[in-house]
Amino acid sequence: MNSPAGAQGVQGVHRDGAASLAVVDLVAGYGEVLALEGVTITADAATITAVLGANGAGKTTLLRAISGMVRPRGGQILLDGADRTGRGPEDMARAGIAHVPEGQGVIAELTVEENLRIGMMSWPGIAWRRADRAAALAEAYERFGVLADRRRKLAGTLSGGERQMLVIARALVARPRVLLLDEPSLGLAPRVMTQVMDMVVRLSRESGITVVLVEQNARGALAIADRGVVLNLGRVVAAADAKTLAADVALRHHYLGF
Amino acid sequence: MVEFLQFTLSGISFGMIYAAVALSLVLIWRGTRLLNFAQGGMAMFTTYVAYEVIRHTGSYWAGFAVALAAGVVLGAVAELAVIRPALGKPELNAVIITIGLLIFLEGLAGILYGGQYRSFPAAFAIIGLRAGSTPLGVSRFDVFVAAAVLATTLLLAIGFRYTSAGLRMRAAAFNTTIARLSGIRVARVITMGWALAGLLGALAGVLVSPSTFLYPNSMDSIFVFGFTAAVIGGLDSPAGSVVGGLLLGVALSYAGGYLGSQGSDLTALVALGILVVVLMFRPDGIFSGPRVRRV
Repeated sequence: MNSPAGAQGVQGVHRDGAASLAVVDLVAGYGEVLALEGVTITADAATITAVLGANGAGKTTLLRAISGMVRPRGGQILLDGADRTGRGPEDMARAGIAHVPEGQGVIAELTVEENLRIGMMSWPGIAWRRADRAAALAEAYERFGVLADRRRKLAGTLSGGERQMLVIARALVARPRVLLLDEPSLGLAPRVMTQVMDMVVRLSRESGITVVLVEQNARGALAIADRGVVLNLGRVVAAADAKTLAADVALRHHYLGF
Repeated sequence: MVEFLQFTLSGISFGMIYAAVALSLVLIWRGTRLLNFAQGGMAMFTTYVAYEVIRHTGSYWAGFAVALAAGVVLGAVAELAVIRPALGKPELNAVIITIGLLIFLEGLAGILYGGQYRSFPAAFAIIGLRAGSTPLGVSRFDVFVAAAVLATTLLLAIGFRYTSAGLRMRAAAFNTTIARLSGIRVARVITMGWALAGLLGALAGVLVSPSTFLYPNSMDSIFVFGFTAAVIGGLDSPAGSVVGGLLLGVALSYAGGYLGSQGSDLTALVALGILVVVLMFRPDGIFSGPRVRRV
């Protein structure tokens, strides 16, 4: 699959548009415990890949390894074919990988607008023009009206759904090439969850961002994803089109619980 | 009444120095959760640098400026050279390193300058100001002390609030994980925090030394009071450290003034008393918000 044309950056912020992500034979863990024992995943540019599996399957570790929070012990991480293995999270962010960790996406002590401005910290140095920053904020507020009303409020005062919106808005501001989302729907009311999922889809489609989505809610994730990958005990047990996975009754019963 | 005014004003002047030390400790604490025991020693050392520059150039302001610059450099170098290697190791390692740094700096000052007390010049006359015929108990230099710390603090506050570097520092202090994942180079932010702390310490050293004299241990008690002020205000709160410093300075000034000849010997006890009372009612300091820190 080729990356769609017309993946546009925020005015003035030049990254190279959507990027494919490939994880090859990745081994990672904590102390003596290996959480990933040779995982290979490819995500084409501007697609949504759902990573599914039970607790302890290694989903979160996979995202942490891709974003540089966990140093891989083996294997490779390729962004658009370029080897990024072993870089720290600061470098990964600057290379265009945005990772939203589970349940702690906002900095509660900062205002909504400050949280959004954090999204600009990974911009290439050349993009630090006042007009670009203003344009990026304006675009985020346009999409997320609820944030515009609360821009001076501390992020800690937002509701769970608003926080998740803020996280996604910040990802939009950051203009990542790859967005890693860990359980974005956790703890949200179903209606809000739907909104968040819709936003993820729009982000991917309209902005041409490659999304890797970790979810407990397998049904919801597969509904919006292009591809699905099922992990079990640190290994890939299935990888296919989302529709194919969703239609695989045995797999669903065995690993996905629906 | 006149006495009260005098004690209050002189307390504010000393309190601003405690505030500067407290703020320097808070800057480092917020970035690394580390209490820098070498802060007083670093301030003492940069004051010797100022002393040397003033002796050679005859210019107070040259010494003042060089001391502040030396504080920035010393702070950054200390962080890069001895603290950085201990990050990610057990927390006690870094604490012990700061104590080692303190001993090193005080020992080095002792080797270079000996232990004798040296008088350090003040920027302005230390003749007491008067309102009409009433002595105010403070000098023009005391006013300068308060103004210098206040100006520095306000500049820092504005920098934290309105600049990108300030936002990076706050983000890193509040949530290192998100900061790093957002592309903020937290290691650089921490170095910057140490540099600013070094600057504040150097300021405190230059401002307090005309009153205390300069010797290798001259900043020890100032450090202790500065630390007390920081804890009173809440180690996480820059504003709290300033308020804590002022509170402590004024309280100690009253104690020294009203308790007669024993008063000045009792200041440490008074400081301890205030600390205990504050911590009984506000364990995280006066300015602590609701507990939001995550493990």
